[in-house]
Amino acid sequence: MWNQVEQSLHSSMGRAMESLARLLPGILAFIVALLLFLFIGWILAWIVRRILAAVGFDERMSRTAPTMADWSPRLAPSQLVGRVIFWCFFTAGVMVGVSAFEAGSTENVVSGWILGYVPHIVGAAVLLVIGTVLARYVSRSVLIAAVNLNLSYARLLSIGVRWMILVLTGAMVLDHLDLGSNIVELGFGILFGGIVLALALAVGLGSRDLVSRSLEREASRVAEEQQPERVHHF
Amino acid sequence: MAAIELTEETREQAERIGSADIVVGIAGPVAADELRARAEAVFGLLGPSFTSLHIVFAWPTPGGETPVTSLSADQPTALTFFPFSFPVQATGELWAGVSAQQRAVLGLAAQLNARACIVLGPDLAALHPHPLQLFAYAVLERQCGLVMPLYSIGKYDGLANNGILSPLSRALYGKRIRCPLAFDFAASGAMCVRLARLEPHQNNHGGDSLLWPVTVTATQSPQSTVGQVHLDVRHQVTSGSMDLSAVLAQVVGSLFQEMESCAAHWQRVRGSQPAPVWGAAPGHAPDGEPPDTRPMLESFLLGFRNLDEVWRLVLPPNTLLELRRLTKLAPEEFRMADELWASIVCDFALAWRLRTLSRTHVLGALTPLYLGWVASWIREASNLSHAEAEQRLEQLARAWEEKKPYLLSRWRWPDRFNP
Repeated sequence: MWNQVEQSLHSSMGRAMESLARLLPGILAFIVALLLFLFIGWILAWIVRRILAAVGFDERMSRTAPTMADWSPRLAPSQLVGRVIFWCFFTAGVMVGVSAFEAGSTENVVSGWILGYVPHIVGAAVLLVIGTVLARYVSRSVLIAAVNLNLSYARLLSIGVRWMILVLTGAMVLDHLDLGSNIVELGFGILFGGIVLALALAVGLGSRDLVSRSLEREASRVAEEQQPERVHHF
Repeated sequence: MAAIELTEETREQAERIGSADIVVGIAGPVAADELRARAEAVFGLLGPSFTSLHIVFAWPTPGGETPVTSLSADQPTALTFFPFSFPVQATGELWAGVSAQQRAVLGLAAQLNARACIVLGPDLAALHPHPLQLFAYAVLERQCGLVMPLYSIGKYDGLANNGILSPLSRALYGKRIRCPLAFDFAASGAMCVRLARLEPHQNNHGGDSLLWPVTVTATQSPQSTVGQVHLDVRHQVTSGSMDLSAVLAQVVGSLFQEMESCAAHWQRVRGSQPAPVWGAAPGHAPDGEPPDTRPMLESFLLGFRNLDEVWRLVLPPNTLLELRRLTKLAPEEFRMADELWASIVCDFALAWRLRTLSRTHVLGALTPLYLGWVASWIREASNLSHAEAEQRLEQLARAWEEKKPYLLSRWRWPDRFNP
């Protein structure tokens, strides 16, 4: 019996090693292709940044498209272009690497599936980045505007807006990745519907007096503001 | 020639007029009939020294209206009314429209080779003989390149100017001018050409930045004299639908923009020089009871509670500690030190320049701090006479000048120097 066990272990080890040996050239080809594209991308991004700096691209952009800086305050436009080029080459490197993996190994099921799925991953990553940046920008805008309007619940409002955008982004990303699309749609619908219903019930039943007092306060504030101001800022 | 593009029609009209000694321009649309009546009355009271001069009264007409030039029949070379069409659309923002019209008037004066140009606000509050005489005297007799107004305002008026614009402009460019952004000012012919030729910067919203005549004079014509004249004029500034934070962002953002574009100049300026002043200081009406500072303090405290994530990106830790200390004070003890206020504005200017966060957010987050300073100022000024309040403003301006080395260090080495 022990002989049979030993034999089966040997044969399974042999099969595993054989499979690994078949995959190794493909993995190596994937790594080489990725590194090559990373290197080219890095060099090209560096060259483009230098050229853009030489032609004064940042100054021109700050004059002609000032709102761009609002979305990417920390990065100069030339750095942003450099990064976009680098990450484009990275994505291309992954795709070429997967093709090389397919060519270097006899297995083509995995690479075919990955190649087909790459556009979904790229799209989802773009959505995630846009959603996160948008959530941060909008929530900060809401926070500052609410504070300047003297709203005591400014932070709550800002956090609410941020999470609303993040949840929406998460749902869109999962939908784009084809992961549990029915559950995501259902969950998202229930969550948002629930929030709206809860707010409607809270305002309609529980907080009726609170809302009316708040509206009265706002109305009286408008009346106060219509009186001539005693402080002139300009 | 000029960055200001006057319409072809306006140019033809100007060519027909030829030249002028003084252009008096209104920076905004006005009722033509009222203006003519008032101008004729004012011109009659100007005195004999003006009768030999050719004066052009110019004002922009609403879009589409045909400009009409009329010459006074009995004195054809003395007074010309010139309603001119102006291609730039007003943006609806308080100061942007005024600056655009001021640029147009200066461009017209340059076109007419005027010896002096007097720009007046659209509310016509300064359209009186005395202000015109003072402006003309300072430019034509005393050879000033630029003449700015010294308004007779109360202790609680013009606070954004007194708290930010005036001391910052003085610390940067070394000119002790009380109103660097004014509705009324006068410029010599040479200065009109410079101001009109200047290409306006683009602000955050894609519009033209505001006109800062003192900055242009200090940077492009440092040898020119900048004077001031006392004006017994009070402008009723209405921000329309814009709230305080929006107007503050517009004005302060524009000043920061100028600061960035003129960095090479102001970094070389040390100290400040007094500007010659003409005219008698008018008496001040009593200010009455001080305004209630509680809403301002509440705004400041609300800002501190909620905007810490933004302020932490802009302000250094010791400033945040000082602000925390202020929040713990009783309202009657609340006082923001001059040095603290100056360093706060310097740090916001740096954050605006370095794009530490969105420029719109930087400017928006300044409002609660400004209201804190306003509350502090009102509490302090309520116990002071007008003369003492003026001295106190001088002290504030000196504190800003003393903060300039800090601003310079952080401007040049933002990463190396961060207390």
